[in-house]
Amino acid sequence: MSSFFDPLPWLVMLPLVWGTIAFMLGAGRGARLAIVAIALQLLLALKLAGQMLEGGARSYAVGGWGAPLGIDLAADGLAAAMMLLTQAVALPLAVYARGYFAARPAGSALFWPITGYLLAALNALFLSADLFNIYVTLELLGLAAVGLVAIAGGKQPLAAAMRYLLATLLGSGAYLLGVALIYGAYGSVSLEVLHPLVAAEAPLAVMLAAVLMLLGLLLKTALFPFHFWLPPAHGGAPAPVSALLSALVVKASFYLVVRLWLELFAPLATPAAAQLIGLLGAAAILWGSWHALTQTRLKMLVAYSTVAQIGYLFLLFPLATPETAASAFQGGVMQAMAHGLAKAAMFAAAGSMIVATGRDDISHLGGVGVQLPLTLFTFGMAGVTLMGLPPSAGFSAKWLLLMAAVESGQWWWVMLMIGGGLLSAAYVFKVLRRAFLPVAEGDHVTPVPRVLEWSAFALALAAVVLGLYGEPLLQLLMVGRMA
Amino acid sequence: MLAAAGLALALGHAILQLPQAAVSLPTQVAGNMGQSGVEHPVTAVLLNFRGYDTLLEVAVLLLAFFGVMALSQTQSMCPAEPAHALLQALARLLAPLMVLVAGYLLWIGAYAPGGAFQAGAVLAAAGVMLRLAGLLPAWAQPGRLLRTGLVAGLLVFVVVALIALGQGVLLQYPSSAAGTLILLIETGLALSIGLTLSGLYLCSMETRA
Repeated sequence: MSSFFDPLPWLVMLPLVWGTIAFMLGAGRGARLAIVAIALQLLLALKLAGQMLEGGARSYAVGGWGAPLGIDLAADGLAAAMMLLTQAVALPLAVYARGYFAARPAGSALFWPITGYLLAALNALFLSADLFNIYVTLELLGLAAVGLVAIAGGKQPLAAAMRYLLATLLGSGAYLLGVALIYGAYGSVSLEVLHPLVAAEAPLAVMLAAVLMLLGLLLKTALFPFHFWLPPAHGGAPAPVSALLSALVVKASFYLVVRLWLELFAPLATPAAAQLIGLLGAAAILWGSWHALTQTRLKMLVAYSTVAQIGYLFLLFPLATPETAASAFQGGVMQAMAHGLAKAAMFAAAGSMIVATGRDDISHLGGVGVQLPLTLFTFGMAGVTLMGLPPSAGFSAKWLLLMAAVESGQWWWVMLMIGGGLLSAAYVFKVLRRAFLPVAEGDHVTPVPRVLEWSAFALALAAVVLGLYGEPLLQLLMVGRMA
Repeated sequence: MLAAAGLALALGHAILQLPQAAVSLPTQVAGNMGQSGVEHPVTAVLLNFRGYDTLLEVAVLLLAFFGVMALSQTQSMCPAEPAHALLQALARLLAPLMVLVAGYLLWIGAYAPGGAFQAGAVLAAAGVMLRLAGLLPAWAQPGRLLRTGLVAGLLVFVVVALIALGQGVLLQYPSSAAGTLILLIETGLALSIGLTLSGLYLCSMETRA
């Protein structure tokens, strides 16, 4: 299909265009333009998903050359689902950010242009079928994310941004080294061309490339023990930025790990490696949850919760045995979607509480339950998704993963998932308990603009609705995938 | 240290036993040069065969500049400090020559090593030189004209890509107009790359001082 209104190229070009126009408009401008454009992007992503449910996976040769000479874009169910998540998270967050920066202008000057480029990078990454082009999108994504952490200024965010920059550059560097080795071994960087060439008896260079690319991407995804850069970066940025980073940016490199592990490098992946990566996930769940419990700052608690929730994503790999591949895959991706929506809601709600109380401190949350009931309800609802309770999408995700664990006889992952759910309940209730207390002496809770409360609520609600009506999404995920 | 040495050894070992590649891209590039609109293979790959990569790279460059802008503290233009008269005279003499060299590099890119990135780098060097000679103010918050110049290259690239999309496929130049379109894109890119690269320097001057 090639027409001017094909959603596939527009999903990359539209955010690039509005980001650029927002920069031309000047500091802090472009919020309304961004909201309209992201709504359009959401429609485009829906249209693409609809086309694919009927017509199957798609591929698009940019410039008309075709791989391996040119660059191909490809959309299967996984890519379409990730793009749906991206636009669905970005739209309420854009509405939220407009209200948030009206109340707290620090860091608003370049928020819109950088966010436009960030969304372009995410969509380009999900669509790319070319290893080098993926590297370019990783650079675009990494620099946009670092820029967003730095926009607030101040000593601590700058130090966090610097640490994040070094981590993300090291990750891209390792990935690029792997791409160079692959090109040396096979003479192409197109996923479609490479796929039939990679076999279990691959040359040493390819083995090395697989390890380097995987390590680079794990560093970018902040899987334990590579999580050191995440809490200061996500916990220190303005609330809309934290939400974008936690909900979407770490999912992008996770998406690439899934693509490479299950597709390109599938002949090289061993069960032992899958168990190892699952163990790292388990360590992330325990370590992240424990640290979330011991935090005194609200946003740091939410950031450590991200470290823990990333762990669940990687249970996909040990659980994807030949018999349970489909349910483990669906469960892992569903977890990415559920966490994306719920974590965006949670950071947005945390931001509202911080605006209302004037400080980022859990022990001074008293009175929030009375003054901001909707925001607190949003926080609780997002917490329900993170714990994996019904009827949320978090429940669907954990249910699919549990089924895969039981069917493949790996009972230890079942225990881990139940234990992890209890730990998330503990840190969510730590916040809720404080917020229900009366206002402490000397503290004051001021009301926040309605739009902050409702946009965050929309995100938390989406996570629950996805749990109730997740069937079309699971169907979409299997488009273009051998069951 | 040990890990780095181990990686270096493994890399060396792996590269020594690389197999014969299954695909030969240089042959394919040579085979399609006729339709690329230019005569130099590097320019053909950068602006035509893999033009999409270059489009995104230009955005990467702009993002780096946004990052520097976010970090610079000053609010307005910083007036130039006077420099030695001899330096100023030399800079006045060299700047037009550098613009001429940039134009030459831009034009020759179609036939020989050169192109937008090289031309932009020379333009940026001219900007930095003028600043050091005290002939150009530093800017932390670029005005509207400057902002337009910074993004002009990307915008021209995007507009050409979208016009091609109107004809059928993103970034598919009609074979007959490819050369002209590539020159148009490269001209815009050279200007914007020059401004962006010199901006990385001009914008960060104040935080350094």
